[in-house]
Amino acid sequence: MPHSAHAPRLGDLERVVMDRLWESTVAGGDGFAGVTVREVHEALEKDREIAYTTVMTVLDRLAKKDLVTRERDGRAWRYLPADTREALTARTMRRTLDDMEVTDRRSALLHFLDGASTDEIADLKAALAEVEARSDRPASRGARSRRPR
Amino acid sequence: MVPLALAGVAVALVWLAPGLLARPRRLRRAPRAALVAWQAVSLGGVLAALAVAPAVLPLVLEGDDLRSHPWLVALALLVTAVVLGRLLLSGHRVGTRIRQARTEHRELVDILGEHDRDGLVVLQHPTPTAYCIPGRGPRVVLTRGVLDALPDEQLAAVVAHERAHLRARHDLLLEFFTVLHESVPPALRSATALAEVRLLVEALADRAAVRRSGAVATARALVTVAAGRAPAGAMAASTSAPVRLHLLALGPQPVTATLAYALAVVAVALPLALLGFAWA
Repeated sequence: MPHSAHAPRLGDLERVVMDRLWESTVAGGDGFAGVTVREVHEALEKDREIAYTTVMTVLDRLAKKDLVTRERDGRAWRYLPADTREALTARTMRRTLDDMEVTDRRSALLHFLDGASTDEIADLKAALAEVEARSDRPASRGARSRRPR
Repeated sequence: MVPLALAGVAVALVWLAPGLLARPRRLRRAPRAALVAWQAVSLGGVLAALAVAPAVLPLVLEGDDLRSHPWLVALALLVTAVVLGRLLLSGHRVGTRIRQARTEHRELVDILGEHDRDGLVVLQHPTPTAYCIPGRGPRVVLTRGVLDALPDEQLAAVVAHERAHLRARHDLLLEFFTVLHESVPPALRSATALAEVRLLVEALADRAAVRRSGAVATARALVTVAAGRAPAGAMAASTSAPVRLHLLALGPQPVTATLAYALAVVAVALPLALLGFAWA
């Protein structure tokens, strides 16, 4: 486990390497058989100074996290993304939402809303009408709009 | 008598007070003060539990010097150490678990999300939701779904809500109560305490959202996010949304806040005063 001083940099590289793997998967089509460390290194080297061993370390970390799989190809490993970006996003979100039901893990993330049930929606709309009715009486405070994106 | 009183206070604060504190709905209209009261009551309970054994000592010693009864002192220290040990062990377990879950999640989000300069991360996912990852390297995560579903003013309310969580370190508050919850023997645990503290933390963050965008925009955002999530979360028994909307309609209640602060002072002062009395 690398020390925290290096973690942010490796974290950034994980993202770059995963992006590269996903791009290669799309470009490679059905016959895509993965990329080697050398291929990833050559692609990344165009944009930044990066050591071959660093790419190796990052791919290794990603494999440990089950984000990539690898297959032997002669003396080298060929790396493939374990999931598409969309599938991994869906899995991450599913887990995030499921965790809200588990007391144990609930304190890890703080959600805007802890869940909702279909039965409640009608009640919620009624309560919203109450809030709106109330705010009509005292002068509502104007707040400037700024899209935080 | 004093040790008995302390034990009584410990049981009352750990076991009975959570039920009593969760009952008056008015307290929710002063979430900040209510949270202080909850912390004080829990801290008071812990202090009382830690003080029972030291308070027994003066009774048993009957005016003798402490040094002439080393084994008694050791026993008292041991009892206190067991209580403290349970707390520390629970703290370690909960802390490790939470930090690991956060780190894993943050790493995934960093790989998958689009980052902007304000520390917001957008995930390409249709479910409208927003949350924050507290701790080192905090993040506010929004889905594409929530960006599409909410107009600017409501989105700003959601972001203000999440930022309030991060700024006020509500995660530490929740962690504290989770640790206490798990350190108490299972038979004495009260799920009410943790649930109520969770609700209060949300009500407090809603205040920040109201300051940013007003009560109506905040309420609309809550309803929209709830509606967008309902099909997936249809199993959820009861959620905080109805209570929070109700609180948005009611507004704050300063008198209740003063009462809650007074209660907080008593809850911490009582065990300390009793321990002092035992040695006087």
